[in-house]
Amino acid sequence: MGRTFRHVLGRCLSPLVIWLAVVGSAQALTEVRDQEQILAAGTLRVAVYRDFPPYSFTVEGEPRGVDVAIARELAADLGVELRLHWLAPDETLGDDLRNAIWKGHYLRPGQIADVMMRVPYDRDYAFRMNALGEVENELVHMFAPYQVERWQLAYDAERLDGVASLALFQHHPIGVQIDQIPDFYLSSAFRGRLNAQTHRYRTPRQAFQAMHDGEVAAMMAMRAQVEWLLGEADAPDGRYRLADEAFPQLGKRQWQLGLAVHEVNRSLAYALEDTIMRLIRSGEMARLYAAYHLGYEVPAMYRSLRAAEDAPP
Amino acid sequence: MIRLGTRTPFALTTLVASLVMAGAAQAAVTDDDIANDQATPDDVVTNGMGWRGQRFSPLETLNSDNVERLQPAWAFSLGGEKQRGQESQPMVKDGVMYITGSYSRVYAVDARTGEELWQYEARLPQGIMPCCDVINRGVALYEDLVIFGTLDARLVALNKDTGKVVWRQKVAEYEEGYSISAAPLIVKGKLITGVAGGEFGVVGRISAYDPTNGEPLWTRPTVEGHMGYVYEDGEAIENGITGGEAGKTWPGEMWKNGGAAPWLGGFYDPEIDKLLIGTGNPAPWNSHLRPGDNLYSSSRLAIDPDDGSISWHFQTTPHDGWDFDGVNELISFDYEEGGEVVKAAATADRNGFFYVLDRTDGDFIRGFPFVDEITWASGLDDNGRPLYNDERRPGDPREGGGEGESVFVAPSFLGGKNWMPMAYSQDTGYFYVPSNEWGMDIWNEEVAYKQGAAYLGAGFTIKPLNEDYVGVLRAIDPRTGETVWRYNNYAPLWGGVMATAGNLVFTGNPEGYLMAFDARSGEKLYEFNTGSGIVGTPITWEMDGEQYVSVMSGWGGAVPLWGGEIGKRVKDFNQGAMLWTFRLPGQAASEGLVSR
Repeated sequence: MGRTFRHVLGRCLSPLVIWLAVVGSAQALTEVRDQEQILAAGTLRVAVYRDFPPYSFTVEGEPRGVDVAIARELAADLGVELRLHWLAPDETLGDDLRNAIWKGHYLRPGQIADVMMRVPYDRDYAFRMNALGEVENELVHMFAPYQVERWQLAYDAERLDGVASLALFQHHPIGVQIDQIPDFYLSSAFRGRLNAQTHRYRTPRQAFQAMHDGEVAAMMAMRAQVEWLLGEADAPDGRYRLADEAFPQLGKRQWQLGLAVHEVNRSLAYALEDTIMRLIRSGEMARLYAAYHLGYEVPAMYRSLRAAEDAPP
Repeated sequence: MIRLGTRTPFALTTLVASLVMAGAAQAAVTDDDIANDQATPDDVVTNGMGWRGQRFSPLETLNSDNVERLQPAWAFSLGGEKQRGQESQPMVKDGVMYITGSYSRVYAVDARTGEELWQYEARLPQGIMPCCDVINRGVALYEDLVIFGTLDARLVALNKDTGKVVWRQKVAEYEEGYSISAAPLIVKGKLITGVAGGEFGVVGRISAYDPTNGEPLWTRPTVEGHMGYVYEDGEAIENGITGGEAGKTWPGEMWKNGGAAPWLGGFYDPEIDKLLIGTGNPAPWNSHLRPGDNLYSSSRLAIDPDDGSISWHFQTTPHDGWDFDGVNELISFDYEEGGEVVKAAATADRNGFFYVLDRTDGDFIRGFPFVDEITWASGLDDNGRPLYNDERRPGDPREGGGEGESVFVAPSFLGGKNWMPMAYSQDTGYFYVPSNEWGMDIWNEEVAYKQGAAYLGAGFTIKPLNEDYVGVLRAIDPRTGETVWRYNNYAPLWGGVMATAGNLVFTGNPEGYLMAFDARSGEKLYEFNTGSGIVGTPITWEMDGEQYVSVMSGWGGAVPLWGGEIGKRVKDFNQGAMLWTFRLPGQAASEGLVSR
């Protein structure tokens, strides 16, 4: 609150992580559609983050991105039309799930999606309890991991020979997106000694442009964001390189992203999961990613499935 | 579906027309009306019932002897499906009442009958994500304009008779997380507003506009290192860097995005000719990322209304690590000590301390806790700076430490007192402070996600300190620090307070009651159930020889959003949106006079 909220909230509410212990009465007004209703309506409403390349964004009004491409496949396999539900990120994932899946945003009550993209597939998170012993996200089913994500550092090889250690950025400027994890991380790593060289930008694209313009020597963002920016860049081969940096004390080094539906919608989840598995097995998923200059790494769950299927009887 | 523009019911057209015609005879709101608001009880044309925001009425027709005969005169529903968090203070001028509702709506209502004259609903952008809920705290009146701030950070000026838009001005980009919820302030022919904004990347600022056309006059960032400007003929002219230069109290480039949003607006003291405005918490919330005092976050600023320069500041929570904010109102008052008049100002901070300052220079006179428990500091030093209990500063999530280890901090970040304004009685010399007794557990989390990214986060939960109450209305003697009386309330108090010369103190509670107390003893003399929780602020005025009281009813605001164990206490309170008006019948007043 302050917050901000703090705002909150009051403020402005706060950037602290919140949870809502109270399920508001607006829930009763929210219509969760089951698979039959979706088929009858002929549309699948899929929530994607807005302005979030290379996952979901628009170019001259046309939806683009890997999440949009996957969403098209989800709708096509159900034999219905895709309706994108563009989502502005709230303070935490729990807020996004509330806004997109089970309640709707308080300015747009009842306006929810059938499925949300880019939701972590993480048992610890999915079953986490709040201070009252209630499962925080009990109204949400998270499933079908389709991407592995991690933090990534890219540097300008015309300025740096390599990144042996983050300590390098005591002396060389590095760009990050403001208010995102790399920002907080670099602000405090090495007891704050990288803070003075940390430059903050509104978007990863602006951080990349700053590297292109020589303002910073490196940038840090999620791997797919970095790969996309490098792939789109008009630069001689080899000028920008990925660093293999471990990022000590950053928490999870990698995590998986999947889909989410309302907890009551299990049969819809099975159908959607079938599409994800089809895309992965056919190699179509890797092609969708390659279209945005992204490498594709099959999530661990499908690797073991494939191993089991491939094993001799 | 948001209805656009204004709506004038057909049946009212002739009434409006007659009002418009009568308008020629009705004086518009002048600078003198605003300057003298506190002394002229036939109208309420300022937020705070007077420039200084004392919320003290000299009316004594309604008093502690007859308040039990106070009767509802009329009630008005704001309508619509979306009804919650009515934090507006009504304004009254020439028999018309002006209020705002949640979701950027404004209403003009006949103060005698409660009939709607017009309504305006702002067109809000698609997909807007305001940082700070949907509440609004009221309008400003100037000449024939009704001016308010919107969720998408604009000022909108409406004609007072028709509700038609006269001008609009963008104050800040809503897409960058800015919003406006406070009532604007009119001072010396200038319209003053702050901005709300909860996201990192926001820089607080206070701006002045020409109220007649919305043209900018000056702007003053509230974070050290940012340039202020005055505007001449539409041209921005540099007017000095806030704090002199960048980087004195912030590490690296952190000053570029320091937060400190003055989201609650403020008041004006004509004697010292300064705006008195509070600022929000610094960003980001993790204080370990920004060693230093982080000026001017969590501070009170005295600002020159002519050009926006900062005369003095007082920072209540330097290096704020608890999200305490410093926006709470700073209220001017005078008191005598050793035969001399002290020109003071007082504030009850989120952090649990009550401060008395010298308003001529911002010097600390005294400070004391106004809540029962403060854990994050052991007290204040001679300059009013907190003596921190370092073990009660939330840890750096990056340091790990694991889940389960939590820090307990009281007050909670919702504050010993939040936005809801206190009142100062010129009769008793007490401040009447709506406060809450709650704390919070804060701990680090191993698993947190934001927009598809994993990180080490922090979690918290707010807890009541007592089983049988959270809210406490306190009468506080600013000369001694003594709590003269207190009234405990089960739910958190979130509404403002008003004092009157009739030995009365009014406030409302989330349970829905408008309550009146004896200003000296604290005895509850009156209560009326308005049907939904009260988080607004009452006013009183005189019309046709009778004294009236009005208050908005409609539960909402921040408390139900933040849940936790507090959420359990309030989850059954119904939301809503009603404007209630009460009247002391003339006969009761004269009988009261006799019995006195």
